[in-house]
Amino acid sequence: MKLRRMRAFVRKEMLEIARDPITIGVALLMPMVMLFLFGYALTFDVENAPLVIVDHDKSVASRALSHQFLNSGYFRLDSAPESEAVAEHAVMTGKVRAFLYIPRDFGRRLASGRSAPVEFVVDGTYASTAAVVSAYGRAILYAFPSGRLDMPIQPEVRVWYNPQLRSRDFIVPGLFAVILMAFPPLLTALAVAREKELGTIMQIYASPLTKVEFIIGKLLPYGLIAFVEMAVVFAAAFLWFDIPMHGSMLLLILLGVVYVLCTVAVGLLVSIIVRTQLAAMLVALIMTLMPSFLFSGLIYPVATMPPFFQAYSAKIPTMYFVNISRGIVMRGAGLDELWYEVVVLIAYTLIVLAAGILLFRKRIG
Amino acid sequence: MPAKAGPRGCACPSSRDVAPEPIVETSALGRSFHGRPVLQDISLTLREGELLGIVGPDGAGKTTLLQMIAAILRPSTGECRVFGSDVVREAAQIQAQVGYMSQGFSLYDKLSVAENLAFAADIRDVPEESFEERKAELLAMAGLGRFENRQEGDLSGGMRKKLALCTILIHETRLLILDEPSLGVDPLSRRELWNILDRARAQGKSVIFATSYMDEADASDQVLLLREGRPLAMGTPAELRRRAQGKVYQLAAGTGFSERALEASDDVISFQKVAVREYRVQTLTAQSPVIVNADVSPTDPTMEDVFTVESTSNIDQGEGVSAVRPALTDDISVKSVGVTRRFGKFVAVDAVDMAIRKGEIIGLLGPNGAGKTTLIRILCGLLPPSEGHATLAGFDVARQSHEVRSRIGYVSQRFSLFTDMTPMENLRFFARAYGVPRSQMEERITSAARRAGLDALSERLVGSLSSALRQRLALACAIVHRPLVLFLDEPTSGVDPLSRFRFWRLISALAAEGVSIIVSTHYLEEATYCDRLGLMMDGRLIAMGTLEELRSRLGLEDARVEDVFLGFIARERALEKKS
Repeated sequence: MKLRRMRAFVRKEMLEIARDPITIGVALLMPMVMLFLFGYALTFDVENAPLVIVDHDKSVASRALSHQFLNSGYFRLDSAPESEAVAEHAVMTGKVRAFLYIPRDFGRRLASGRSAPVEFVVDGTYASTAAVVSAYGRAILYAFPSGRLDMPIQPEVRVWYNPQLRSRDFIVPGLFAVILMAFPPLLTALAVAREKELGTIMQIYASPLTKVEFIIGKLLPYGLIAFVEMAVVFAAAFLWFDIPMHGSMLLLILLGVVYVLCTVAVGLLVSIIVRTQLAAMLVALIMTLMPSFLFSGLIYPVATMPPFFQAYSAKIPTMYFVNISRGIVMRGAGLDELWYEVVVLIAYTLIVLAAGILLFRKRIG
Repeated sequence: MPAKAGPRGCACPSSRDVAPEPIVETSALGRSFHGRPVLQDISLTLREGELLGIVGPDGAGKTTLLQMIAAILRPSTGECRVFGSDVVREAAQIQAQVGYMSQGFSLYDKLSVAENLAFAADIRDVPEESFEERKAELLAMAGLGRFENRQEGDLSGGMRKKLALCTILIHETRLLILDEPSLGVDPLSRRELWNILDRARAQGKSVIFATSYMDEADASDQVLLLREGRPLAMGTPAELRRRAQGKVYQLAAGTGFSERALEASDDVISFQKVAVREYRVQTLTAQSPVIVNADVSPTDPTMEDVFTVESTSNIDQGEGVSAVRPALTDDISVKSVGVTRRFGKFVAVDAVDMAIRKGEIIGLLGPNGAGKTTLIRILCGLLPPSEGHATLAGFDVARQSHEVRSRIGYVSQRFSLFTDMTPMENLRFFARAYGVPRSQMEERITSAARRAGLDALSERLVGSLSSALRQRLALACAIVHRPLVLFLDEPTSGVDPLSRFRFWRLISALAAEGVSIIVSTHYLEEATYCDRLGLMMDGRLIAMGTLEELRSRLGLEDARVEDVFLGFIARERALEKKS
């Protein structure tokens, strides 16, 4: 390995990138688009869910319960019809998310200390929304002050690390991992495939440049771009979305560098296997973006998946950085806790690079 | 690198003993792709300082051969040694030492001239002390000194090729491998390119180059003629010409001469009309052909003649097509009056008047961007004119484009065939697309295939056919619906001389049946096959007439087509300056 040859190669890559404003634009813009899109849209919080209330009791107690629902901020009154049939119809047609039925003698039963059943019907079409809505409803019902139900256990649940359960605080650190797995490899995969398509790779083949020099020469410049992408995404997250940071920024950046080298190496491996830019793009998307969404713990925790998919998730580096990023940002975790993830990422990078060097042929076909 | 002992060793003393170690030596070298051989049985030896030309049409296997010698493609059969090293086992050593210039543009277009050179020098371990000096020397030689800071992509094609040559000359290589270095390069740059190469050769470098221009081979020490992956012949240019000696004749036509006499002779392989009453004839045997009403005398063969004569030994002769054309009538099939087409402010076609008779062959000549393609598109009804009007078979091309399109056939430069279908499937598709009735389908396809010179339709996919076969299939697809007018856009680029000759016989036969033919071409010698020529420049039709008319208008009686063409362009430029 000769330093001069590698330096020349890195310099050539940097010049090419610097003179291609479209590539730079795409490299910086796409991660931001994705961050904003998902930062705003991918939320499980429910606010102002439309609700129908059928109050047959019309007592002070029943009115108080209705107010509890409507003043919580989670529900807004859609209508208050007289008949249950109308309310049920509203749920069935998807006009409202939930329906609260208060029977005739609700107030009297409460006053006399007997159990006072109410009915709370939730539209389960969207399972995750339904779970949130029913949890909110239950919480309000349990906390209903007057004449509380006789409960043997009085749970006092406290949520740590994200007390308001704001999904954005949880999604955005996870998105770091997905975004940096989606775009840097894509750009890298295109870079080598483009040389193959245009035929410029021929002069690389017919030269003393070695495989290792070629691969490291591609890895470094694209790693640098990935680092800039990472910096931009972090800046947007902490300055624009105001995601609270509970850990060390330095540690996050340091481990981020390890991660982007890993994702760029994955892109490099893709480009070594394929021959055209089109194939590079498709394979890169299938290998990186698609599994990253589902099998990284971004949305669904890996721990609750069936064992097969847990094993599958463990093969994708995204999961490890989701853990690292959420750990540092949300819990203030340090290396003592995250060492396993870091070791796996480093090993992953080395294995992928070795595979790239092994599979790269300095010849056609 | 120390020279290794040759594979033959020194045990057998012979006169060859003093000859230098071969730079390249191949024996029975071959390569297959997906089980299909694209190159077979190549045995050659290149000695220090020699120039070897690999000559053949597109798809002959030239690139494959060069890539194997550069050790970037593994041979399927045979052996190849470069500088005494094996191309498979010692590939890295060879890759580091050769100067390989691939086809097309292989440099980084975003990098400047100087940056490309510096990159090439750095990855090839050129000592930094000598780099600046060598760079200055090469740039001066290539005439690129002034453009040192210009991006490669902004250079002209010729300059890009010269720069590519400089990037492989920057290191002290002993072997240059050049894949069609002069493809798409203007004549002046081509000469400069060869001057650079001559200097490199004067320093003792060996060169292997591929070309489809037969005349470039004449300067080589050795020439290998390739056709469809097989060696046709190998030797010095003089040796090769000697092989064709006595098989090439000049024919002066007397009164009453007809081309039919040439076609009727079994001994005649092909012939070209050189001047009004003059032909060049290639024959099968070294016996002077007897042609009535003509004076036949032997002449010196060119490399193109050699190729044609040698080709007959390994290809099917195919059935000759008779093309005796009746005298042209005054039946007009295409007429354009003041046709103009603007794209914004740019005038692509400027007030073109022309009338084309039934069964006439019109050649459109002109530099790139002269407006040939735009004019053809207007006449096909694909693009409405901005001004003026044109009719085809009586239909207005702008308002009745549907009627027009069902009466024309079009063969484009790149033969728009489906490469992953068989010839029959292609023909059926085009027949259906043009609305050939189902009941007539088989009959029309058979007749189109016959008229296009396809005797038996191959069962192979079109992608694996030779370019000559693909060209004829494209022609068959274009005539399956019996068009009245046939447009051919550079139909013969990259096709070998004999196939080109046969293609033109087919075109003549179609014209004899009354089909009008409009063809644009870069091979100026093909102009002699046309009835009339239209010369285009900057969107205008600057001259139109038979070759004789055009010649006499310039007062150049025996001029070659190229000179006539350049003469009119020069005259036009002079007129522009005056006004």
